[in-house]
Amino acid sequence: MKNQRAVTFNHNPLLEKGLPAWRPRLVLLALLAGSVALAGRAAYLQGFNNDFLQAKGESRYSRVIAVPATRGRVVDRNGDVLAVSTPVRSIWAIPGDAQLTPPQVRQLAALLEMDVEEVNRRLTPGRDFVYLKRQLAPEIARQIAELKLPGIHQQQEYRRYYPGGEVAAHVLGFTGVDDTGQEGVELAHDAQLAGRPGARRVIRDRRGQIIEDVEAIRAPRDGEDVVLAMDSKLQYLAYSALRQAMQTHKAQAGAAVVLDARTGEILALVNAPTFNPNNRANLSGAQLRNRVLTDVFEPGSTIKPFIAALALEHGKVKPDTLIETDQGRMTIGRATITDVRRHGALTVSQVIQKSSNVGTVKLAQRFTPDEMWRMFDELGFGAPLGLGFPGEAGGRLRPARTWRPIEQATMSYGHGISATLMQVAHAYLVFARDGELLPLSLTRLDEPPKGGRKVFSAATMRDLREMLELAAGPSGTAPKAQVAGYRVAGKTGTAHKLEGGRYTNKYISSFVGFAPASNPRIVVAVMIDEPSAGQHYGGAVAAPVFARITEGALRALGVAPDAPLAPMHIAGQPELPRAVKENM
Amino acid sequence: MRLGAALLSLLPSRREPQGVECRRAVSRMMRPADFIQEVDPLVVWASIALLAIGLVMVYSSSIAIAEASRFTGYQAHYFLLRHSIFVAIGVSAGLLAFRMSMRQWQQYAPWLFVLGVALLIAVLMPGIGREVNGAQRWIPLGPVNLQPSELMKVFVVLYAADYTVRKLPDLGSFRRGFLPMAGIILLVGFLLLREPDFGALVVIVAIAFGVMFLGGINVRLFALLAAVAVAGFVLLIWLSPYRRDRIFGFMDPWQDAFGKGYQLSHSLIAFGRGEWFGVGLGASVEKLFYLPEAHTDFLLAVIAEELGFAGVLVVVTLFAILIHRAFAIGRDAINLERYYSGLVAMGIGMWIGVQSFINMGVNMGLLPTKGLTLPLMSFGGSAIVANCLALGILLRVDFENRQVMRGRS
Repeated sequence: MKNQRAVTFNHNPLLEKGLPAWRPRLVLLALLAGSVALAGRAAYLQGFNNDFLQAKGESRYSRVIAVPATRGRVVDRNGDVLAVSTPVRSIWAIPGDAQLTPPQVRQLAALLEMDVEEVNRRLTPGRDFVYLKRQLAPEIARQIAELKLPGIHQQQEYRRYYPGGEVAAHVLGFTGVDDTGQEGVELAHDAQLAGRPGARRVIRDRRGQIIEDVEAIRAPRDGEDVVLAMDSKLQYLAYSALRQAMQTHKAQAGAAVVLDARTGEILALVNAPTFNPNNRANLSGAQLRNRVLTDVFEPGSTIKPFIAALALEHGKVKPDTLIETDQGRMTIGRATITDVRRHGALTVSQVIQKSSNVGTVKLAQRFTPDEMWRMFDELGFGAPLGLGFPGEAGGRLRPARTWRPIEQATMSYGHGISATLMQVAHAYLVFARDGELLPLSLTRLDEPPKGGRKVFSAATMRDLREMLELAAGPSGTAPKAQVAGYRVAGKTGTAHKLEGGRYTNKYISSFVGFAPASNPRIVVAVMIDEPSAGQHYGGAVAAPVFARITEGALRALGVAPDAPLAPMHIAGQPELPRAVKENM
Repeated sequence: MRLGAALLSLLPSRREPQGVECRRAVSRMMRPADFIQEVDPLVVWASIALLAIGLVMVYSSSIAIAEASRFTGYQAHYFLLRHSIFVAIGVSAGLLAFRMSMRQWQQYAPWLFVLGVALLIAVLMPGIGREVNGAQRWIPLGPVNLQPSELMKVFVVLYAADYTVRKLPDLGSFRRGFLPMAGIILLVGFLLLREPDFGALVVIVAIAFGVMFLGGINVRLFALLAAVAVAGFVLLIWLSPYRRDRIFGFMDPWQDAFGKGYQLSHSLIAFGRGEWFGVGLGASVEKLFYLPEAHTDFLLAVIAEELGFAGVLVVVTLFAILIHRAFAIGRDAINLERYYSGLVAMGIGMWIGVQSFINMGVNMGLLPTKGLTLPLMSFGGSAIVANCLALGILLRVDFENRQVMRGRS
């Protein structure tokens, strides 16, 4: 430094040589080296390390999203649509983005059919996502889209529509707002109906909007249609007959079921009260219950024919064997079993025809509890039918070793045992099918069912059909079950309702039968819960419903009449013939 | 007073005898064939290319955020419109700067520097400066905001060259050569750190000491000074947690990819997605709200994604051409013993070079993240105008070189 400071101005080397040339060269070289480094780094990032970086990028904005599959339809056995998904749109908003002028809010509110205050309240900033309205008709959604409001978005959804409304509501059930089954067939066959949503890989921007469709990973597989065994005509018939009976008898509830005696298919299944699946606001639990499958009741006298069948089957009696009914009273232990009317000595046929409790108990006493239990078990009592229907009940059939004598006695006329209406109808298949019991099916069968089992012999069943025809005849307990043109057979039931472990004076009236008696085609079961318009006997309350359903069903099915066209009984003419009071 | 005269001379005036050459030159520039002969065509075309690419890419990178933001009134062309106006103002400013002679520039350099310092003080005053995102860097002037630190970069080039030429005899001296400049830079640095604008400080220090280095400052002294400067920066970085975090984010952006390394990791993803030839203009995903500051500091990332390595290489090459030409023009000037002009030209080269290198290096994860825009390309009015001013001056140096070589001066 001293040296340099000593140098005079003239000798300043900088001025003599100009500025040192190596310094600019060095700086320029350094800067250009920087450019080369940048180019090299870019080549590394873009040409060689790009797989790693792209993977990082994909993990941030590539998403696999579901492509909704169209839910399958539910159709009846003839292809009539019972449930179908229609496209609707849901309107949602990002409140922070939705800066709307008051006129815009008014327009939007008008289209959504909502209050302006309500729309404003939902659009209050704070949340990132809010539904304004779900399941809107496509036409209204289009009008909203045309307003081009910022922050207001739409999404495609499906809404389930049930053309039949309340007629088949309990069978079909319904779907939730996300188009998944929640009740009934919609739930039971959800996997088949829902199909399999597809998947596609998309790129989303940071706000979640899809900006690019990268690839389809899996095409959606639309849901398959479910073909029910149900016949819409029969279903409607059963529905209207039941509804009328409900009104006539001021009943609490009711149910009816029609089975195809040849295949075990469920042709109709109705419940009352019912609901409209298209508008499920203000539903009560009572409306939603599928009583046929989920509610058990004590079937009462409809059980009696099975006891008679057991006795015949084992050769202990013949149809004309006389049974002494002891003036209609019988004592077992401290309990007394009574008939409503004294019959004296009755043949086995008459026991069924007149529905004598004492006579049935005397038949039942010829068997051990275990023998009776085995029959009930073979008939399907005490265990769910396995239709795959949600909430299906199995009823109660206690183990035979716990039966006390009085219990064995009451069980023979349908108390102390409980079952669903469907189980009773199912068991009646044996009468219609010469002793063979078939599994039931909610869905249409394309080939004859397998897995039938023989419970009784054909000969026994022939005898029983005659008895049941008598029971439904002019001098039986249910002359009102008669149908013009067809021979019908069946049995009434009138059971006291159990409430809190005690029998009350409320009744469940039922009738289970089949027709035509000469060559059974359908089994029909009817149950009316708490008829309160004066009459409560199954023959008066349930049998007319049976008659209406059976008559219409057989006609609709094109079954040839097997009886002379002149009616044996015309319902509604009180003097013809005298109704025989039925026992419990 | 002299400043007023200088400003007057910016306007076309027949009374100013000194403007004759200049006017002649400008009128020649209006004829393309002659224009090429009067100024360096590579500088002109490289600058135009960078401005044009910048304009397109600012639009491309900002379109989504502009469209979705209430702040921009949901106008997709919000940033394009403003950037276009800035470029127009910048080109006009560059042409005006071209009309000023280097003698005038040297004459007014100290005053411009004082003006720059005054603006840097003004921006810190409450009521004058405007704070955005925790940094008080802007002075609102009606529809636009002035960023004094950008203009200061031009003024530092002009002033450092003037200082170096005046102090040529004393450059070997620590006390007389180095200390005064160090003191001045310290003052400027203090002001810049108050904003804070660390990036501008780095550029200004690089320019000031770069020019002095080129002017012939004692190498050992310079090495010492460089060591002190590096130590100072390191100290500053370690003392400030917010800068230290940025350093860590740069070292391994994937370690805290959703926190400190968020911006850089998205920038790197953009590079990776671009591959050799890009995903196509307009097709960037990163610009869709993922990469913050896509249209300003991280414009290169969007270029890399949309135009690929090819696009990045073009940009790097254009900057290299500009730098190389700036040094060549500077060397010509020095050979003509026009030391001031030479140092100004090289200073401009260093400015463009250092700032573009830092910006691109940050984009690629080579350097710690700091707020520096890409010269001539990124969105930002003051920066564009300052860059164009500098290029106008660079072309003026070249123009005067040619005049001298033709014996017209």
